[in-house]
Amino acid sequence: MTATLPASPTIDPATSQRVIIRTVGMKKIYRRGEEITHALRGVDVEIYTGEFITVMGPSGSGKSTFFNMIGALDSPSEGRVFIDEVDVAQLTAEELAFLRCRKIGYIFQSYNLIQYMTALENVTTPMAFGGVSPDVARGRGMDLLDLVGLKPRWFHRPIEMSGGQQQRVAIARALANQPSILLCDEPTANLDHRTGDEILDILQKLNKERGVTIICATHDHRMMNICDRLMWIRDGGIERIARRDEVQVEVGSIE
Amino acid sequence: MKPIDVKEQPILSAGRVFQIALSGVKYRLFRAAVTVAVITVAMAFLMNILTESLIKRAVADSVREQIEDLRTVDAWIAKLSIPQTTEEILEQIASVSQSELDLHELVHMSGKPSEALLAAEPVARDALFYLRFFNDMNFGRRRVLVGSAEATRIFDHLQTPAAWQTFTANLADMHTIRFPAAVEDFEAFLAAWPDLRSLVASVRDGQARAIRHVQRNLGDTPLAQALRAADGPFGEVLREAGFALSERQAATLSTEVERLEAIQRIEGTINNPGIRQAVAADRDVLPGDVSMQLIWGLLRQRDRSEWFYDLMAEHGLNVDQLSPQRIEELAAHQGHVRLLKIAERQTTGAGGGFMDIGPRMTWLAMVSMLVCAVGITNAMLMSVTERFREIATLKCLGALDGFIMVVFLIEAGILGIVGGIGGAIIGLLLGFVRMLFTFQSLAFNAFPLTQLLYAGLISIGLGMILAAVAAVYPSMRAARLAPMEAMRIE
Repeated sequence: MTATLPASPTIDPATSQRVIIRTVGMKKIYRRGEEITHALRGVDVEIYTGEFITVMGPSGSGKSTFFNMIGALDSPSEGRVFIDEVDVAQLTAEELAFLRCRKIGYIFQSYNLIQYMTALENVTTPMAFGGVSPDVARGRGMDLLDLVGLKPRWFHRPIEMSGGQQQRVAIARALANQPSILLCDEPTANLDHRTGDEILDILQKLNKERGVTIICATHDHRMMNICDRLMWIRDGGIERIARRDEVQVEVGSIE
Repeated sequence: MKPIDVKEQPILSAGRVFQIALSGVKYRLFRAAVTVAVITVAMAFLMNILTESLIKRAVADSVREQIEDLRTVDAWIAKLSIPQTTEEILEQIASVSQSELDLHELVHMSGKPSEALLAAEPVARDALFYLRFFNDMNFGRRRVLVGSAEATRIFDHLQTPAAWQTFTANLADMHTIRFPAAVEDFEAFLAAWPDLRSLVASVRDGQARAIRHVQRNLGDTPLAQALRAADGPFGEVLREAGFALSERQAATLSTEVERLEAIQRIEGTINNPGIRQAVAADRDVLPGDVSMQLIWGLLRQRDRSEWFYDLMAEHGLNVDQLSPQRIEELAAHQGHVRLLKIAERQTTGAGGGFMDIGPRMTWLAMVSMLVCAVGITNAMLMSVTERFREIATLKCLGALDGFIMVVFLIEAGILGIVGGIGGAIIGLLLGFVRMLFTFQSLAFNAFPLTQLLYAGLISIGLGMILAAVAAVYPSMRAARLAPMEAMRIE
């Protein structure tokens, strides 16, 4: 199988950036009884370190499936996913846990905080899984909460916080083990305009200052202004990938 | 391709896992309470069965002797009226080495030396054993094997070579019958049977002789009345005739007979219209509703017994050897006898099975365990499925499958212990209160404290184990899922 793979360069000659996520012929088929759904029909894509990519597409287009695949949360029916040049399919359960814990940070539309933990505990849980000692984890957790502006509320539980605050805790949690990739699944969908802006600011800051690769599925058009590349997914395939400047020219021309 | 620099995820310390599990339980206190309630009910049921059975058995043990005393009079009247049956004599011989008195009596009755009786003991035991086998067998089969012979006649029948031939041949052909011993042993027993039979016959003859002797001495006195002097001259007559009568038995006999006589006299008053009406007026009921139980209940009070004594005298009834005090005593004794009879009825079938609570109760306890296993599995399954999102999130954050399983097992264990303790306490209290109503004062006589403690520990341990076992499947299912599948299911 490995022999038949196309020799793909790890360095894109144009930008001299390293490839961090690469998918080769990625397909996902869901079977429910007789009914067969092709959620993804062979996706080949390369994402570079330090990029801010926005993935757009109507609901049911396979956007979330794509997300789960590149986030090592689900396994493709066919094809391969390489994260940092590691074939995800070859990892054991323990190694997968390691990968999810340290390489990738996840941000969900519905925050998915652990309800019975305080903000700080939520942030330090991935550190605990990663083997960081409780004292160190506490210090780092406070720093991260400070980064998202929630340091004074470290002892609050999710139900005591607003949606925006919860999402900020989720961002702090995603950053717990200094991941190189941040996967955001509609991070602003459940938030009002102003709070959404705050979240976008934080994401942009992370991308620019820390060089975190951010892949963001969204319907939010404000994302377009801060991303490097845009990707459209339709019917389980990539419809189009474009740089932001190209798109903005188009948008401008329509106006 | 770059070498894989991904390492294995470290395993969390037990303390941290426990802490996380505990905080989860604390947060979902209501859900946990429902699960605990399920476990509590199930364990209370089990504990209730155990408690009641143990108390019943303890009561049965403690009252067995008193119940036997109640029967002494009847037993002796039967013994002094006709000789015992062959089976009864066989049973007596089969346990002759257990009782000095029996040996003495049998020696006297049979006129054989005690060595002969002791030698016959194992043979008699065999005889009873084979008798039980033939009695349990269905009629058709028995007919094929031994013809129309029944009971000990079977052994007589098999003495002839022809009958033995038929028996062995048919037994070999009947594949569905498993003879409980080797055929050679049975043959050896049959060889020893004629001696035993003649021994039994001599015992019977001796008993008949003894009964004639006693009856000659009785003259016209009824037997029941004569037994009042069992601790006196009549006892001597019995001993002389060859009956083994211990001092204790003699004393029990005479007090029981005397008491029975007095009780009969008091119970006879219910047929006296004057007394009946007086009691009815006193209790404010219709004369037709006056029962003996009502009268005995009344007589347990001192002033009422005095009143009743005067009433009896007034109506010209025989009050010899009666006094208000005696009447009150008799009433108290009647109450006790009633309790004993309840106890006897309630405790049939006690003994045997798990913790000696009886096979029926063991079966019930097992069914209850099954029911609670199902209930707990259901509760745990609900608890796991409604938390798929949380499990998926934890997996996204790098939790190992083992961690998720252990968290759920710890949670189930905690709930199991709490539910088990609650159930043990509730079951114990319920069972004890119920038994207190049934046995009243008898329940305190023999309170099986240590065994109840064991039963409590069993309930608690079982609650924990059942909860943990019931949680294994759901948590395994949750842990094995890919994170996104888990979220999708929700």
